[in-house]
Amino acid sequence: MIPKVLIVDDDQAWLRLIQAELEEHTNSFVVIVADSGDAALDILKNNDISLVVSDLRMPGMDGFDLLATILKVYPDIPVFIVTAYDKPKTRDVVFKSGAAGYLKKPFSGDELAEEIINTLQKKSEGGNLHNVSLDTFLQLIEMEQQTCTLRIVSKKQGRGGVIFFRDGDIMNARIGDQQGKAAAYEILSWSRVSLAIEHDCVFHDKKIDGDLQAILLDAMRSKDEGEENKRNAESDESEIFLDAPLAGKKSKSAEKKSRQKKQSVPKKKQKTSGQLKVKTKKKAPDLSEMSAVERIRHRIQTEIGNRNGLLDIYLDQTWEGLVYRALDIGEAFSGGRLNVLYVNKGSNGQFIVVPGEETAVIKIDADSPRDRIVDILSE
Amino acid sequence: MKDIFKDVLGTDGVHGLLFISDEGEVKLSKFSDQFKDEEEKLSRIDWASFTIELTGINDAELLYENARFYVKKSGTGYLIVILGYEAPISMVRLNCEIMLPALDKMKSTGKKIGALFRKKIF
Repeated sequence: MIPKVLIVDDDQAWLRLIQAELEEHTNSFVVIVADSGDAALDILKNNDISLVVSDLRMPGMDGFDLLATILKVYPDIPVFIVTAYDKPKTRDVVFKSGAAGYLKKPFSGDELAEEIINTLQKKSEGGNLHNVSLDTFLQLIEMEQQTCTLRIVSKKQGRGGVIFFRDGDIMNARIGDQQGKAAAYEILSWSRVSLAIEHDCVFHDKKIDGDLQAILLDAMRSKDEGEENKRNAESDESEIFLDAPLAGKKSKSAEKKSRQKKQSVPKKKQKTSGQLKVKTKKKAPDLSEMSAVERIRHRIQTEIGNRNGLLDIYLDQTWEGLVYRALDIGEAFSGGRLNVLYVNKGSNGQFIVVPGEETAVIKIDADSPRDRIVDILSE
Repeated sequence: MKDIFKDVLGTDGVHGLLFISDEGEVKLSKFSDQFKDEEEKLSRIDWASFTIELTGINDAELLYENARFYVKKSGTGYLIVILGYEAPISMVRLNCEIMLPALDKMKSTGKKIGALFRKKIF
């Protein structure tokens, strides 16, 4: 299971050079290159990448945009920023944007390799396991209430995925750019796998409902149904060659197999599944009955989750002076509707101001994903 | 002075920039050729009433339907960058952060030279 490192730079000559210099480290990692941010995203979607090294200044999608997308879609993949544009404060801004590392160009292949290997070692500090029964191993993690990130590779499927645990609770799963339950179901359908264990988890909030047992059962059921559908489709296609009793027999055997699999799960787990069945769908809240403040809170909560950095939301007329001036400016230069304002008052806090019949003010903390909140409220 | 703005003005999607004193006086205005009409419209704005509202603010962003303003406080005034939504805002923020010390340095040097001239003349 040799990790893959993606290096992104619009300077193709530099890419060729660094790729050649890193060739001697192929025992530790394999290098894949991309000459633009868009090409990098395509590679990330279809490959199991362990680390990204990106240039900062690139035409089109620059290093910051790529970093922001990776943090959102592939939060477990560390990103190193490399740049010749090393001005005072660049390093601070790069780290503040969420990069895992920063290197000033020029640097040697060995320097970069050292940084890559150090980071990759941290990511598999919990060890590597091969030919493991995945469901048994995951139940062990749940039982021992471990916090970890598991990078899983199925040789049979030719695919890799990641499962995130916090205190034994399954928080999220990811395959390519897909996250959540669907990704978890696919990974859990793999039987014998290789995996690397990292003693950390980037997720603090659950992105998957239910506990591991219920998810394992659902994944098994979904796998059985998928196999049965496949068999039915095959038997339908083969109708002219097979007689009816044989087709019926096949279906019964599949049913039996499915029943056996379900029976192999301890009773306690079946109870959990039963509870899930009667679970009723939550009624969607009526937005028209909400106040402006409640609507804003609901939108941010729904789109971002609990790690939104909101400290307070309130109506505050004292901001109206700034809002009116901003409206005047917008009108004067044909900027169109004023959607939202962001204001940083240093030690006095950061605020997002939403104009309206009454001015709503959102106080956020320094780690809040404010660009995302601003985007959501601008829509 | 032209060079220190090069990185910001050269960024894709940046329409132009203004430097406004704390009192609201436009000290500098630089726009790409295609946004000269925007520059003309913005020159007519009463910036003094805007800078009063900006008191105590380190940086701000005004997000309109068609464009956004990035406002950064410097030692002597406010740098305002007008940009489209296609512009890489993080890169603009970084360039402004980098540019401000040079801008303040130029402003303070300017004041010293001005004071020297005043002494000699009067």
